[in-house]
Amino acid sequence: MDEFTYTNIFETKGIEYIIVIAFLLLIIVFWYLINRPIKVKESINSAIGYLNDKILRIPRGIFYSKNHTWTYLEPEGYAKTGIDDLLVHLTGPVKIKQTLNPGDKINVGDKIAEIYQDEKMLEITSTLSGEVAFINEQLISQPELLNRDPYNKGWFIKIKPNNWIEETKEYILADSAPKWFQNEIERFKDFIAFSLKKNNPSSSEVVLQEGGELIDFPLAGLSTDIWNDFQKSYLKQ
Amino acid sequence: MSNTKTIPADRAGQSIWSFLKYELKPKAKIFTPFNIISAPIVLLGIVIIVIRFAKGIGSVTNLTQEVPWGLWIGFDVVTGVAFAGGAYVITFMVYILNLKEYKSIVRITVLNGFLAYVFYAGALLLDLGKPWNVINPIIGNNFGVSSVLFLVAWHFLLYMLAQLVEFSPAIAEWIGAKRAHKILSGMTLGAVILGITLSTLHQSGLGALYLMAKEKIHPLWYTEFIPVLFFVSSIFAGLSMVIFEGSISQRVFSDQVSEKNHKQHNKILHNLAKICAVTMFAYFFLQILTFVHGKHWNHLNSPMGYWYLTEMIGFVLLPMILYFYSFRKHNITLIKIASVVTMIGIILNRLNITVIGFRWDAATHYVPSWMEIVVTLTVLFVEIWIFRWVVRRLPVLRESPAWAKNNH
Repeated sequence: MDEFTYTNIFETKGIEYIIVIAFLLLIIVFWYLINRPIKVKESINSAIGYLNDKILRIPRGIFYSKNHTWTYLEPEGYAKTGIDDLLVHLTGPVKIKQTLNPGDKINVGDKIAEIYQDEKMLEITSTLSGEVAFINEQLISQPELLNRDPYNKGWFIKIKPNNWIEETKEYILADSAPKWFQNEIERFKDFIAFSLKKNNPSSSEVVLQEGGELIDFPLAGLSTDIWNDFQKSYLKQ
Repeated sequence: MSNTKTIPADRAGQSIWSFLKYELKPKAKIFTPFNIISAPIVLLGIVIIVIRFAKGIGSVTNLTQEVPWGLWIGFDVVTGVAFAGGAYVITFMVYILNLKEYKSIVRITVLNGFLAYVFYAGALLLDLGKPWNVINPIIGNNFGVSSVLFLVAWHFLLYMLAQLVEFSPAIAEWIGAKRAHKILSGMTLGAVILGITLSTLHQSGLGALYLMAKEKIHPLWYTEFIPVLFFVSSIFAGLSMVIFEGSISQRVFSDQVSEKNHKQHNKILHNLAKICAVTMFAYFFLQILTFVHGKHWNHLNSPMGYWYLTEMIGFVLLPMILYFYSFRKHNITLIKIASVVTMIGIILNRLNITVIGFRWDAATHYVPSWMEIVVTLTVLFVEIWIFRWVVRRLPVLRESPAWAKNNH
């Protein structure tokens, strides 16, 4: 019988070969695990810029109005007013023109500001009556505040309201707000399908199929006609 | 800082001199917390540098004949260059693989890489006994062709030039030089290919410098594969720097970033996290392999061994898992945390080879003097100042002027 010979596996580098083989096997597992489809749909949507109700900022305790402005009564008695996150997401980056000055009197339906994107413009109207106390001048030089922080730094004006209780009865609040925004997105899809067809009959632009997703800032690339339409039929319902 | 006015993208008919004079003026608040902290340190650092050149390197550092390279080489040069690795990875992805979604971060990454090389490689001069001799490898006086330093010197020089060419279209857009812009944009691809070749070689070349110190480096860190480990780790070190620096830039220079790029940034971070996770996975195995190959298990049960395990588990394996997890969960905050842990790990790794594990067995250990630390911070802060100066003026983060967009 042959003599037993002991081979030191370390000297033969056997362990190193085993490690290399283990690495090659494990990288397959690792690659599979890291590339499995991710189920968190809304976070992908927010990352790639689909517009849906999951990415909208809808803080509680703020009064949302049907013309897509919001208001909030500060402890000092001023009603802070601005435009809601859905409108910000629909238009994309805009420039702001403040049309009022502190001391001006306003009524429900009066224009409080204009928002611009190139030559396209939307009028923002008031849902409160009262006296303008402050306007946010920072917003003129830094319109991006609107996209970053529509409910704090992105406020438009502060009003000393005349008839707060009566005029805020119609507002949407707290629990009902997310549902309302969801409906408003659906309403926008209907609006845009209709308006695109009306303004560009022969257009081959994106047609929203049933269940289709809106990209973020859908109005940004669209024409003045559609913006005017949006003002007339979507904002003034 | 956010109330800064952005400058017009075109110099609007001004003469070049009045334009440059205007541009030299500060554009933002001078007394920011960062400036208030950094300015005295930089002033002190400059004084120490003057003393260093007047009285010699021994007057300000704790370096000895035994430990001739300390913090300035170990941190400024070796670690700084690893962090600058993001530039070659991102330019490779954008210009060679044509992954256009990363285009919005190319300029800031190249600028960051370029400045890192200028400053950190420039910090080499502080270490040279006769700094004016730095020109020798370039002009051919006593070519030390068999020296790794010869290779590193040429690579640094050529790579800085390549990065300058890659960045130069932004300079042309800034001063409104339309013809130059066209020519320089045409040179970009060539510069990128040269840059990637040089980078891959000298990232490992820096590691090769330490191959000659076999007897001085702790056996757990010394391996003949240091060059390979340096190269592989430079990929995720550079990308972690891109994630970290990009997240800060998006905040500090928010007035420069278009809404579209701002939105896309999270997607970019998410994808970079995946690349980091995969490269760190490979790197971790390479480390295991070199450890087994070195057969130094007996060292594991010692203070240096615990320190080695801390680096491998806490700063390679853990951030890799963090990257993996945050990529899967789409957690951008966690990606940023992973990038910071990875960067600490890279600093530890480079310092373990160049400072901590270097002459670990000497009777007296090298500990950098406070003056060495101040000078290191000076180099870092001045680089950040210049970085900020450039980003505020050149189209680095903001969109190029309309005339430049059709030239690509």
